[in-house]
Amino acid sequence: MSNLSFDWENILVDTADLHEGIVTITLNRPKVLNALNTQTLKEIVLTLKELQRRDDTRVVILTGNEKAFAAGADIAQMLAATPADQIKDEREGLWKEFTLFPLPIIAAVNGFCLGGGHELAMACDTIIAGDNALMGQPEVNLGITPGAGGTQRFTRTIGKARASYYALTGEMFSAHEALEMGLVAKVVPSRTTLAEARECAKKMAKKSPMALRLIKESIQASFNTSLDEGLKLERRNFYLTFSMEDQKEGMRAFLEKRSPNYTGS
Amino acid sequence: MSDWSGLEFIKCDIQGETLVVTINRPEVYNALNKAGKAEIVKAIRIGNKDEAIRSIILTAEGKAFCSGQDLNDRAVQGKEGKKVDLGHTLETEWNPLINAIRESKKLVVGAINGVAAGAGLSVAMACDMIVAAPKVKFVSGFSQLGLAPDAGSSFTFVKGMGYSKTLEFFLFNEALYSEDLYGWGMINRVSDNPLEEALTMTQKINKMAPLSLELIKKNLQEASERDFASVMARETATQRFLGASNDYQEGLEAFFEKRKPQFSGS
Repeated sequence: MSNLSFDWENILVDTADLHEGIVTITLNRPKVLNALNTQTLKEIVLTLKELQRRDDTRVVILTGNEKAFAAGADIAQMLAATPADQIKDEREGLWKEFTLFPLPIIAAVNGFCLGGGHELAMACDTIIAGDNALMGQPEVNLGITPGAGGTQRFTRTIGKARASYYALTGEMFSAHEALEMGLVAKVVPSRTTLAEARECAKKMAKKSPMALRLIKESIQASFNTSLDEGLKLERRNFYLTFSMEDQKEGMRAFLEKRSPNYTGS
Repeated sequence: MSDWSGLEFIKCDIQGETLVVTINRPEVYNALNKAGKAEIVKAIRIGNKDEAIRSIILTAEGKAFCSGQDLNDRAVQGKEGKKVDLGHTLETEWNPLINAIRESKKLVVGAINGVAAGAGLSVAMACDMIVAAPKVKFVSGFSQLGLAPDAGSSFTFVKGMGYSKTLEFFLFNEALYSEDLYGWGMINRVSDNPLEEALTMTQKINKMAPLSLELIKKNLQEASERDFASVMARETATQRFLGASNDYQEGLEAFFEKRKPQFSGS
């Protein structure tokens, strides 16, 4: 595989753990608390596309800094915007492309995780939150509505009453509240968030990459299909795994009481 | 050097590597108005940013530590038939102050020089470690006004001395003394000179590993609020993180070389 290096303006891509299959993308606009502008989203998506072309990535970690995962959009930029500007903006397509990345993306969230930043975290497959995380959809405070999942993924994850409460009041909630609502998988000391996300990534990266892809596909389908359709897809993916070498290897290793060696075939 | 100018209701001075914050309105028993509370929050914030500071002491000038809400603040008076929103006062003034102390990464030692009453009681008890002068009075006082204890004191006292004693304390407003709270394990020391004793404690703290201090504090706060399994999971994440720190290497080397460690906070 060719060397992987990126030269982005708004994000950092760390490939030091690529030998373990792990790539870490860090939002890097600390001065604006990592406000999620179109350029940043574009850099993330182009990075994911590049990773998808290679076969050495297993899991991606998406993170910010101690103070903010990403605090909303660029308000100054949006003040004078018209509907036409918003429609012409390539964000919608970028959000779609983000969800098409086939391997797990773990959001490691510290500090502010608001608006578009919160929507980005929810678009990831799982969220590990530091205990200092403050999350929410505060768009209503600015006279607008969430525009990239903040009324949809949010509602499907935490339910109507709570999604409505937070989206209509603009109130923020803590990492522990997010844990109780099922929005995040774990709350850890904020100093350790990235290290714990890495532990989680390491566990996933050791599994069959085909199993990871198929599980992600099945779980994502649960947001878009009826239960019957979802179960059908799930069962087909289950059958499909039996056509793969990784299934034989996984079961053999289990019976032989050793660690499996997956090849992704 | 941090900028300590523009403080009206508190004094800040640096003693070695310790920031000493002194509430300075002795003429009103150190009652806190809106600006006074904001100044303490600001001082703690600056103290956390300033790398030359390793710990914070919170104390007060004169006979009292803090008598709580300044009732002269218009916002808390319900005159001329108008109702007040004390919830707002808590959300925007007292709770941020209590949270600033609880969330401070650098330990906050309370040197309680005199009476702590009302929300002043909550401020004293929010400190990470507490040294009080002998026979200092701790009074709740809220029920006397037809109110209920706030700013976290329900939590602190129930955890410290149980439901029945706390209920009696909150209902009848009879003072508890330093010696009583020491007996309950709710304060660390009773000392004739609480500030000096607090400085002795912070001198020890200042030599310790900052990340270790920060995480011990946070994990103990969580331990009093959560279940065994989740606290043990936090400890595991903490130890994985600290075990990879430079200060752990330094601590180990110093141990084997039989010398004192020099921690860097990394």
